[in-house]
Amino acid sequence: MRRILAGLLTLGLPLSVVSPALAQQSTLEKIGQSGVLTIGTRTASPPFAFVNKQNEWVGFSIDLVEQGVKPAIERKLGKPIKLEKKESTPPTRIPLLSSNAVDLIAGTMTDTRTRRESVDFSLTFFVTGAQFLVKKGSPIKSIDSIAGKRVAAQQGSTNARIIRERVPTAKLQEFPDQPAAFQALVQGQVDAYTNDGIQLYGLKAKAPKPDDWVVVGDFFSYEPYGMAMRKNDSDFRHAVNVGLMELIESGKYFELYDKWFGPKSETPYPLTAENKRFLIMQVVPK
Amino acid sequence: MLDLAVIVNNFTFLVVQGLLGLGGFTGGTLRLAIPAIVLGFVLGIFIGIARLARAWWISVPATLYVEFFRGVPLVMVIFWIWFIIPQLLRLPIPEYGVALTAFVIFEAAYFGEIVRAGIQSVPRGQVEAATALGLTRAQSMRYVVLPQAIRNMVPSLVTQMIVLFKDTSLASIIGYVDLTKAAQIVNNREIRPFELYLFIAVVYFIFTYSMSRIAGRFERRLA
Amino acid sequence: MNYQFNWSVLWSGQSGGWLLRGLGTTLALSGLAWLVAVALGIVSGAMRTVPWKPLRVVATFYVEFFRNVPLLVWMFFWYFGVPPLLPLAIREWLFDHGAEFWAGMFALGVYHGARMSEVIRSGIQSIPKTQFEAAVAIGLTTFQAYRLVIVPIALRLIVPPATSESLNLLKNSSVALTISVAELTFQTRQIETYTARAIEALTAGTVIYLGLCVGIATIMAHVERRFAIPGLIARGG
Repeated sequence: MRRILAGLLTLGLPLSVVSPALAQQSTLEKIGQSGVLTIGTRTASPPFAFVNKQNEWVGFSIDLVEQGVKPAIERKLGKPIKLEKKESTPPTRIPLLSSNAVDLIAGTMTDTRTRRESVDFSLTFFVTGAQFLVKKGSPIKSIDSIAGKRVAAQQGSTNARIIRERVPTAKLQEFPDQPAAFQALVQGQVDAYTNDGIQLYGLKAKAPKPDDWVVVGDFFSYEPYGMAMRKNDSDFRHAVNVGLMELIESGKYFELYDKWFGPKSETPYPLTAENKRFLIMQVVPK
Repeated sequence: MLDLAVIVNNFTFLVVQGLLGLGGFTGGTLRLAIPAIVLGFVLGIFIGIARLARAWWISVPATLYVEFFRGVPLVMVIFWIWFIIPQLLRLPIPEYGVALTAFVIFEAAYFGEIVRAGIQSVPRGQVEAATALGLTRAQSMRYVVLPQAIRNMVPSLVTQMIVLFKDTSLASIIGYVDLTKAAQIVNNREIRPFELYLFIAVVYFIFTYSMSRIAGRFERRLA
Repeated sequence: MNYQFNWSVLWSGQSGGWLLRGLGTTLALSGLAWLVAVALGIVSGAMRTVPWKPLRVVATFYVEFFRNVPLLVWMFFWYFGVPPLLPLAIREWLFDHGAEFWAGMFALGVYHGARMSEVIRSGIQSIPKTQFEAAVAIGLTTFQAYRLVIVPIALRLIVPPATSESLNLLKNSSVALTISVAELTFQTRQIETYTARAIEALTAGTVIYLGLCVGIATIMAHVERRFAIPGLIARGG
């Protein structure tokens, strides 16, 4: 018993030391001092952020930072800065921000109200929603036909959460990564795999026989992707947003969209007129 | 069925980046495992000896240390070092530093237990004889007890080193690109889990099996 | 920039229930896997010490093969590799009845069986050969000598290392989340998703694992003292 108690104390000790606020330094000051903007991003979420065949770390989200956010910050600071990338995953991204290890999360993070209690978000840079990937001819057509069915999801995703709440009779199986979930679908361990539509199209394109698989159903969730940063740092947030707005305003955003999601890309995902309007309307006047 | 092209095409990434740690990403299984084994063992010797110390203010903290770290999953230790230490020191620690610190601290607890058991397996008469010859406590530990204890510890030490070697795959959670992580990165792109996991399993097997073979020979020679 | 702690997320809402359910799954998974591991460990560990070579070879092959390959790989093997070999009807039935749990259980049990085997082998080998010879001399068969003399003594010798190994099994059960088993680590991640509170969730997981391990270690220390054979096995403090 005494051992347990001592163990708990050892564990609790760092917490009490950490809690008092350390000297506050704004993110822009930090970047100005070090000359480095550190972003947290994914290594395996094509086409947003992934390691490509040449083993370079690239993607749509990374391009947005390199061509929009970074120049905006450089202008604000009046000097060139370097971009450094670190990996962040769903369980690590918020702690990474709060421990100052990274300054900006730019990957596939959905902006939610719960998350806004811990971090701040930029404007929305991509809109998608959850759908299902099924074998051709499957009786599953949408979220209304999954009752009693075995459905795979990515662990900790917003999609899994919605299925659990809306169709509690569905047998939900959550996998930590996409290949395992897809493998389960291929082998019949599950009847459908749900994820953000864009990721399902990417997966289908990669499958050995793409025609055997179909993406079905209307979006049953709304997944607006944003870039996350430490709370209450509005100067930095403004600089990030200015960078994104300029990309959209200049049309550069749409060139990048075409590069990663256009008809000739690996994951064609047409930009709907509605989404395009939404993006443009986020740009406030100068 | 098996499509080995995925291995051939990504061989450099898997081996040079994943195994050796030479590449664009912080990583490398060997680059982490070798120093972690050496430093963890050295720290483990001190902890093992400390547990047997007569002074309670040495033995009790050492015991607590061992019991604590043997009771928590390694993943948690990595997370704590990753998030808490930077806040205390007010400077971010690079991934390599985090991973190495976590492994050394964690594995030292296990090595410490092995060392303790090894020391206790040396008959008391040996220490008494050493004392009778005029050696100090430290000298008898250094020249009489430890050499024999290490001999008795070899099998468990090797098992633990094999465990540590495979455990280094957990460093992938902090973005450290080791062999497992490299395979995951390729897998997410190519969706070829069987080929990739089979390949890394073979690589791990080659290392761990040769470790146990070398140890077996060593054991026989010492016997 | 500082992390604002909010510990109430662990008991408000569904979090408490999730942690309990995760704990239940972890215990069931580890408990069953432990039985498999001990059974395999005893059989193969004993087989590695018998004087008949083919048995030794089979057992050695099992041990070396399974303990030298990472557990994660075994998880995938049992979950993805084995079912396609089964008849369709059985496969469908399994998929409808928590195939991931059973696959995880086998992966964990067979893997740790190999490691348990090493513990048991070294336990048996540390028994002086004279014990065996004495048993045979008083008229026991080889099998009887094992059952009545060698194994009972070896079991006592191996309690401490076997306890360590069992705790490893318990902690390793978290790897089952890779094949979608909703155990304790899985649930702590779940809490993180719902509350965006990673450190609190991880701490809850740490404390529960720590409690379990320390609890088991304490019980086993009692068992060790209880069954010790006076004069034969020296026990540390």
